[in-house]
Amino acid sequence: MKRRHPYLRSEKLANATAFAIAAAVMLVPANFLPVLTTQTSGRSRTDTIFSGTVELWNQGLWAIAAIVFIASIVIPLLKLVGLGWLLIQARRGAMRNARQLTRLYGALDVIGRWSMLDVFLVAFLSGVVRFGVFSTVEPRSGIIAFAIAVVLTVLATHAFDPRVLWRSGSKSEPALPTL
Amino acid sequence: MSMSPAPTPKVSRAPRFPLVWVVPLIALAVGGWMVAHELRNRGPEITIDFADGSGIAADRTELHHKGVSVGTVTAVELKPNLDGVTVRVRLRQTAAAIASEGALFWIVQPEIGLSGIRGLDTLLTGPRLNVRPGNGTPANHFIGLDRTPPPELPLEGRAFILQSDQLGSLTTGAGVFYRQMKVGAVETSRLADDATAILIRIHVEAPYADLVRTNTRFWNAGGFSFKVGLLGAELKNTSLESMLSGGVAFATPSGEGGALADLAPEGMVFQVASEAEKEWIKWAPKIPLVTPEVVSEPSAQAGGGK
Repeated sequence: MKRRHPYLRSEKLANATAFAIAAAVMLVPANFLPVLTTQTSGRSRTDTIFSGTVELWNQGLWAIAAIVFIASIVIPLLKLVGLGWLLIQARRGAMRNARQLTRLYGALDVIGRWSMLDVFLVAFLSGVVRFGVFSTVEPRSGIIAFAIAVVLTVLATHAFDPRVLWRSGSKSEPALPTL
Repeated sequence: MSMSPAPTPKVSRAPRFPLVWVVPLIALAVGGWMVAHELRNRGPEITIDFADGSGIAADRTELHHKGVSVGTVTAVELKPNLDGVTVRVRLRQTAAAIASEGALFWIVQPEIGLSGIRGLDTLLTGPRLNVRPGNGTPANHFIGLDRTPPPELPLEGRAFILQSDQLGSLTTGAGVFYRQMKVGAVETSRLADDATAILIRIHVEAPYADLVRTNTRFWNAGGFSFKVGLLGAELKNTSLESMLSGGVAFATPSGEGGALADLAPEGMVFQVASEAEKEWIKWAPKIPLVTPEVVSEPSAQAGGGK
């Protein structure tokens, strides 16, 4: 049995694909469900990630709004799109731009660690802001979906082996097993 | 050195369906459940028209019933003809039954009056909406009240109409007193159709409604008067409660030979005197009252009576 590519490697591609798809699925509730409920002197307000960003912007906290927007909406999306692109390229096999793709992989790996910002923010606020009737912050189900989505993207990035990008693109090679 | 033959490697085929594909399936199930759970908690959306919407804010103002939040305002819009606001409220699923015809909606704002302080928490939280559910057919558009409706009345008791020259202190919630004991309350007051008098609707609670007879006299018990004469000072005798918050008092004369006049029927109209005549205070007819406590005694229940 002659296999140029160990079985393990191709399965990793399947792992990465599966995790990436799962992450994409979880991003839907993460963005549409409320992530936290703030109660300030009895007024209650429930926010999704996006409405929270808009509220921060409206309150004049542009820098924080920009950070939250980038960390919670842009980065997870970019990560998933980039990962999807890598997976499609790796599946095709023909790698003329392996160097750029590996750079992209490196970039995805670096920015990934920033996307848990939201989760930490909510966890921090829920823990610290507990002033009874005056002010409380409670996490909602959306933040759990978000955390799961982020963990899944991290798993997907780590399951992806950038070495598959460097295989020679000859068509005679056994194609990666289709799933 | 003899070499044992290398062990033959175990070759296993890639499984047709790698286990890892369970992960997206689980994600789909969990995500779907989360969204479904959120959607299931959403009740119908209703609209309420108010003449004034000051302080009502989308996503912040809540709709309360019996002190519990049953919905949240999702939008506040000016009506097209500019004479009021339309408030959209998303009800919780469990409170969907509130949206039926006859439901009353009003805005709770802090109210500090002589009869007490209400809605003080809204000083901090801003106004909130309150609802008294209706019991008609389901509806989704309502007209909001511009003030707090009179409290829900106990079923028992009777209502009477009082006619007065001046409103005085007989506003909603003011007490109705018999021998300075509170036996009822003012429901509403309004100007008569021909504007010659004030009509005040009062409600007298169950066991005490029998105190009101056809010849009962009512007088204004609010405020106090203080007369200083040559022979000394005289303070008109009213209870502290009615002195502060106003109210109306009544007395029933003992009829000829101790016989009482007939019971006053529901809705009977009485005049309100501005002051009690001295003899009214002295009236002390014997009127049998069936108090609820007696009815609910265990022995009475055991007998299966009532």
